[in-house]
Amino acid sequence: MMTVTQETTIPDTRYWRFCAWMGPLFVAVFYVCWGLLGHNFPPFPPETPAAEVAGWFRENANGVRLGMVIAMTFAPAYGVWGYALAKVLERSMGVGSDNLIVQLARLGAAWTTITILVPTSFWLTAAFRPETLPDWMIEMLYDMAWLLIDLAYAVTSVQLFALGIGFLADKRSKPLIPKWLAWYGIWVGFMFVLECVMPYFRNGAFARSGILNFWIEFIIWMAWVPVLTIYAIKATGRIERGE
Amino acid sequence: MTADTANAPRQPHEGHDIPGDSGVWFFIIADMCAFAVFFLVFMAGRAQAPQVYETSRTMLDLRFGLANTLILLTSGAFMAQAAREAQKAQWQRARLMMIATLVTGLPFGVSKAMEWQAKLAHGVGLTTNEFFTYYFIFTGVHFLHFVIGIVVLLVLIGMAEKPGVAEDKRLRWIESGGAYWHMVDLLWIVLFAMLYLMRAA
Repeated sequence: MMTVTQETTIPDTRYWRFCAWMGPLFVAVFYVCWGLLGHNFPPFPPETPAAEVAGWFRENANGVRLGMVIAMTFAPAYGVWGYALAKVLERSMGVGSDNLIVQLARLGAAWTTITILVPTSFWLTAAFRPETLPDWMIEMLYDMAWLLIDLAYAVTSVQLFALGIGFLADKRSKPLIPKWLAWYGIWVGFMFVLECVMPYFRNGAFARSGILNFWIEFIIWMAWVPVLTIYAIKATGRIERGE
Repeated sequence: MTADTANAPRQPHEGHDIPGDSGVWFFIIADMCAFAVFFLVFMAGRAQAPQVYETSRTMLDLRFGLANTLILLTSGAFMAQAAREAQKAQWQRARLMMIATLVTGLPFGVSKAMEWQAKLAHGVGLTTNEFFTYYFIFTGVHFLHFVIGIVVLLVLIGMAEKPGVAEDKRLRWIESGGAYWHMVDLLWIVLFAMLYLMRAA
């Protein structure tokens, strides 16, 4: 059995920083376009009457279209960010790009892109011709998008767990990514499990708009992206110096 | 650690004077913060509808709550002893104590399953009312922590006497596993007091 130990050669890091910045860029664009323009941050509570949701979509159709089109355009930025992190992960673990954990970290990021793109298209569908759609159908599209984006949590957990486990395997006395941040990612992955109860609630803390299943879940994930990016960029400098 | 130093006080890890791994402690603190939010949400809900909460509380079987508390406290005591043995490099004793932790802890799962089963058999479920929503979700999330703890214990039992694993690494992970197991223990005690004991009205 051959095991690859600590890499000693300096890799080509030309695009690493650029790709890593795609993560915070994604979060910022997604917050404004999906969150604010699309009335998803915070979302309509599930108990909101269908007529109210439909009325809002009809009045703000152009804003939602713009928001969703830009959100869909920038969705791949999350995947690009994930690939940049996987490069840091390779060096952190001292393994090649075909390592299983590294592959899972990449796969989790790529899959997450899909779970952002698909529901975003449902919100866009609701805003495409809202004047001819019945209220219940707009409500259904809104619900469907939320059920998918929340319940696809496990896909992102694959990335969170792979990065967490991989960064913990760093043998350096001062790891490229601090241990607390690796554990934070693992914790976020576990916290996402709470989304499993979201379909049972139309109000309260566990509803899609609740303190736990919206505010805490989205904020701990959205905070993880820029914080990890800063450490990944610092790590890139260390990798270039041969540390 | 050599035989001469086997009984000497343990050295702090990584320059920190805390038992176990600093990253695991971060995880534990983050997790406890999440539970703190759970508790605040519960208390806020209870203040809104004290009568519903009180009626529901009296429907819980105190015997299960008490049995689970004793089970986890006993199991936690064995885990604390396992960590002490590990600090003295008594790996065989540490392993035995962790087996005792596992054996005394496992009935918690059985007891929880019986309690949930009894509630469901009486038609009380996740959506019965707000109290039972919190009851099932909080105890369910806690149960998930318990299951993870059992897996961690099994790994640690397998590792405790493994010659290929460095002794400082064994100690660090036994202490970390112990800290996690005590968190499971502590969270249950708070849940027990909050769900079973505290009168709402």
